[in-house]
Amino acid sequence: MADKRRQKILIADDSEMNRSILADMLGDDYDIIEAENGKEAVKILQKQEAQIDLLLLDIVMPEMDGFGVLRAMNDFRWIENTPVIMISAESAPARVQQAYELGITDFISRPFDAVVVHHRVVNTLLLYAKQKKLMNMVTDQVLEKEKQSALMIDILSHIVEFRNGESGQHVLHIRTLTELMLKHLNQMSNRYNFSKTEISLISTAAAIHDVGKIAIPGEILNKPGRLTDEEFAIMKTHSEMGARMLEALPAHQNEPLVRRAYEICRWHHERYDGRGYPDGLVGDEIPITAQVVALADVYDALTSERVYKKAIPPEKAVEMILDGQCGQFNPLLMDCLREMAENIPAAMKNNEVRDWNDQNMLLNLAEDVLQREEMSASDRTLQLLEHERMKYQFFADMSQEVQFEYKVSPPSVTISEWGARHLGLDEIIYDPHQDEKVLATMSRESMEKLADLLSKSTPENPIVDFDSVIRVRGGERWMKIIARATWSKEEPPVYTGAIGKAIDIHETRVKMAALEEMAAHDTMTGLYNHKFAKMRIQDMMARKPDSNFALGIFDVDHFKQANDTYGHMFGDQVLIHMAKTLKRNMREGTVSARVGGDEFLLFFEYREHVDLAINRIFNSLIGTYENFPISVSMGVAKTQMLGTDYDTLFHAADQALYAAKRGGRGQFRFYDGDSCETLSLISPIDGDRQTEAEQDGRESDGKEFKDGSGTDDNQTERKGL
Amino acid sequence: MIMTLQECYAALEGDYEGVMGRLRTERLVQKFVLKFLDDGSYDLLTRSMESGAYEEAFRASHTIKGVGQNLSFNKLYESSHLLTEALRAHDIEGAAPLYEQVKADYAQTVAAIREYQASL
Repeated sequence: MADKRRQKILIADDSEMNRSILADMLGDDYDIIEAENGKEAVKILQKQEAQIDLLLLDIVMPEMDGFGVLRAMNDFRWIENTPVIMISAESAPARVQQAYELGITDFISRPFDAVVVHHRVVNTLLLYAKQKKLMNMVTDQVLEKEKQSALMIDILSHIVEFRNGESGQHVLHIRTLTELMLKHLNQMSNRYNFSKTEISLISTAAAIHDVGKIAIPGEILNKPGRLTDEEFAIMKTHSEMGARMLEALPAHQNEPLVRRAYEICRWHHERYDGRGYPDGLVGDEIPITAQVVALADVYDALTSERVYKKAIPPEKAVEMILDGQCGQFNPLLMDCLREMAENIPAAMKNNEVRDWNDQNMLLNLAEDVLQREEMSASDRTLQLLEHERMKYQFFADMSQEVQFEYKVSPPSVTISEWGARHLGLDEIIYDPHQDEKVLATMSRESMEKLADLLSKSTPENPIVDFDSVIRVRGGERWMKIIARATWSKEEPPVYTGAIGKAIDIHETRVKMAALEEMAAHDTMTGLYNHKFAKMRIQDMMARKPDSNFALGIFDVDHFKQANDTYGHMFGDQVLIHMAKTLKRNMREGTVSARVGGDEFLLFFEYREHVDLAINRIFNSLIGTYENFPISVSMGVAKTQMLGTDYDTLFHAADQALYAAKRGGRGQFRFYDGDSCETLSLISPIDGDRQTEAEQDGRESDGKEFKDGSGTDDNQTERKGL
Repeated sequence: MIMTLQECYAALEGDYEGVMGRLRTERLVQKFVLKFLDDGSYDLLTRSMESGAYEEAFRASHTIKGVGQNLSFNKLYESSHLLTEALRAHDIEGAAPLYEQVKADYAQTVAAIREYQASL
């Protein structure tokens, strides 16, 4: 018993008493897990459905009742693999019937008898175990049988090819071509409707179309040159020979594979116009199987190299066939070939790479098994699924992405293992919209926005791209969420959930922001550049169209002189100094920028006394830098007078600046609308303010450089000190 | 004074033969009878009846009924069964006297079990 896993029973009942009575009855023989309401039961099933062998389910429970659990089990298809015994005092026939309809295996009414419960549990588990075992046995047998017959056919057809001195590719080609053509025929017309099984059967049978060649003497079979009429007559017998061989089989005459193989062997050299051999059948007297293989045979013969000929390019081969150079074929097949022609070479290449042996067969079989619902629980399928899951998990882990799957009903999110670890969330979250941990990770607003985007997608256009801030381990990070909404197959389609992933784009996003920031700034002074300042200013005015704003432009008096005399390095230092001084002295909310050269801009909102504000800034800008005396000329324009058009304001401020310069520099002027001649002139420096400049002996009205000459000797001397 | 489990069942007007028939051993029956004292369903019933949370009262009553049924506490089972059905039908008026009955039966049941417990 030691090697046998104890079976696990989940008991869902809101009464602790009831749970423990049941646990007590069964605990000796089984592992017991308990859930105190339906929601908890679903959570446990989500996590370990595969390990739970039986569910004992109560009906009346808080949060979610037993019927809710059954519905969830149907939605997730757990009901197919996990037997449910319902235990309840609710014995109203309608309720019991409803429970059976939802897939329960058994119903025990209260008060329950310990022995009865025990027996029913044992029986149910046995029944399910037996069913699983039977399913596995059937699968094994099917597998074994297919494996053997495919193997025999492979051996047989390779013997034929070996005698032919061919590469072994011909069999493979015929098989592939036949399969492709049958599939395409299905698409083109309703006439044949080959099932998957039939297609597989016919293409397998096609592999032995030339089995009769085994009876043809090797000298004829492998003669490099043209065959004589006599030799050709012998060669032609191979189709009939093959058919006779199959006919002579002592058993299996009624096997579909043998019957298809017979048709193909005997008639794959017949032609639609009756000019083929051995029987000269006409039109649809020739079985469609043989018609398809005949066409495949001709196509492959043309496009492959043989002892007596070189390979012909596929397009040319199709042209020759359609042209009737290789005999007449069914017009439908000709159309089929014409439509497929382009895709054949690629499809053939694909198949060459594949190994036609066990692996491929296993996959085909697995596909078949998956399609057969009653086998969906076989261990082999589970193994394949497990393999898929492992693969998925591995790639998910490697990719460092948070991958998730969302279901609308019942609302739940499954997160990849790595993702859940990364975000500090559970892998499976029931009712994520209400989950505190989820809400701490992604804001409700973002979640609703994402849900909204997904539900508004369409089946044709299901992909949604959404950037959101996600809290990861206490820090906020930008993540890009790419999700694909899933829609049901019914008409009209219903939105059922989504799959997707979240990629951390924080670094990229921060880098982008830094680049944007950089692009917005003047590299030397760190102030905004003109373009960006203009945007900001327009934005500010648009937000508060009724406020008063002032825009000032100033430049450094005699800056050219500083540049010329002390070099550009020094000039740059002066500009940096100006920017620093400006930043230090402007109020919060003021936009400042270097407009170009030594010209700066400032822009701010004011309530009243704009002149005082300007005066304060103006005075703060006056001083010295490395003994170079600094003063500025400034022009100011007000929205109060000019409105909020940026260019108008800028132009007016520029005109006022010009007037200030003409007025002798070292001063500021307001644009007053009429002409620059009548602009008001305000004493730039208050008498009560002592500056370094004054201590340096400059005149307090800042008109030291009133002659405005760019080559002031005085300056040169000062610096020279 | 010594009280047997059978006498305890008599005191709470339950079916001793019935419960022994289903749960098989006295050990098991004793275990759950004593455990009944810790069951929170009655508290929940009292709280929800008094606050008018009848959905919750229905579930609590339903649970008491289930437990009573499993342990063959017939008297308590009967009254809680009636209460459950009244609450299921949203018959609040009708539920009031039934609730009183459940209260009385519960008190009787608990008193009997306590006495039994004390004599162990």
